[in-house]
Amino acid sequence: MRFHKHDPFLPEADMTPMIDVVFQLIAFFMVIINFEATQADERVKLPSSDLARPTKVKPDQELVLNIGFVRDKEGNITDPEPYVFYPGDEKIRIPDMADRLNLESQFFQKKGELAGEELTTTVIIRADADVPTGLIQELIKLCRQAKFEKFALKAKSEDPNTLR
Amino acid sequence: MAPMIDVVFLLLIFFMLTLKVVAPEGDFSINMPIGAPAQVDDELQLPPIVVRLKAGANGQLSSLSINNDELGNTDLAFEQLNRRILDLIGHPGSVHSKDMEVEIDADYGLHYRYTVAAISACTGTVNADGQPVKYIEKINFAQPKSPE
Repeated sequence: MRFHKHDPFLPEADMTPMIDVVFQLIAFFMVIINFEATQADERVKLPSSDLARPTKVKPDQELVLNIGFVRDKEGNITDPEPYVFYPGDEKIRIPDMADRLNLESQFFQKKGELAGEELTTTVIIRADADVPTGLIQELIKLCRQAKFEKFALKAKSEDPNTLR
Repeated sequence: MAPMIDVVFLLLIFFMLTLKVVAPEGDFSINMPIGAPAQVDDELQLPPIVVRLKAGANGQLSSLSINNDELGNTDLAFEQLNRRILDLIGHPGSVHSKDMEVEIDADYGLHYRYTVAAISACTGTVNADGQPVKYIEKINFAQPKSPE
């Protein structure tokens, strides 16, 4: 039984240009992929501001806090209480963050001792547009009690015409 | 040739599927040093510009004011705030804009988007070329209010 019949008169197609193009595509996707965005949580709907530009200088140490609501598939808020989201399904109420922040603070201090220098850690706050400001301030207060001094508030850099 | 093309296509599909389109994000930095605020020069210390944001019943903005001057609660209010800040600093990058400080005093229940809009209006503007122009970079929060 023969599976493969080779017709000597049918020339084999030249694959080289196609492979070139496919490699180009692979290289493009590899470059464009951003593995650093893993600390961002998709449940957080950031407020937008046209002035918020991606920072060129990254802080040497950063702690990202994602504050948002539990939402259903249509994006409606199902639980009025905002949470700090951690990877996986872990979520913590903001008033209960003190212990966690102290742990984080100790971690960064240890890291600084090992590196032999004083580390300044920037707390990056990615908060949902609908979170009450008072809770963000409370969170900042807790962070300061845990000895964090620098904060950065994240916003989407697009036209904020849709303020409401 | 065929096995290589198979593998290459698999790779291509992997990268295409893992690609996530995220809107670029930027940030506003806020420095809140622990301990007493640094009083470098008492004579040069200007009082902070107080931007007050009052919240309505369900977290909407009910009024925006700068140094006790009402600006209303529409999108125009943020443009006016932007203009008022420009008036106060003179021109972007002026000498005393470095020493000036804005204090954001927002109600507890106010939605965070208005706070960010106010911070954005104080920090600067975008010029005709789409380039950001900085006004005041020192932004601070007032003491948090207690929930109603």
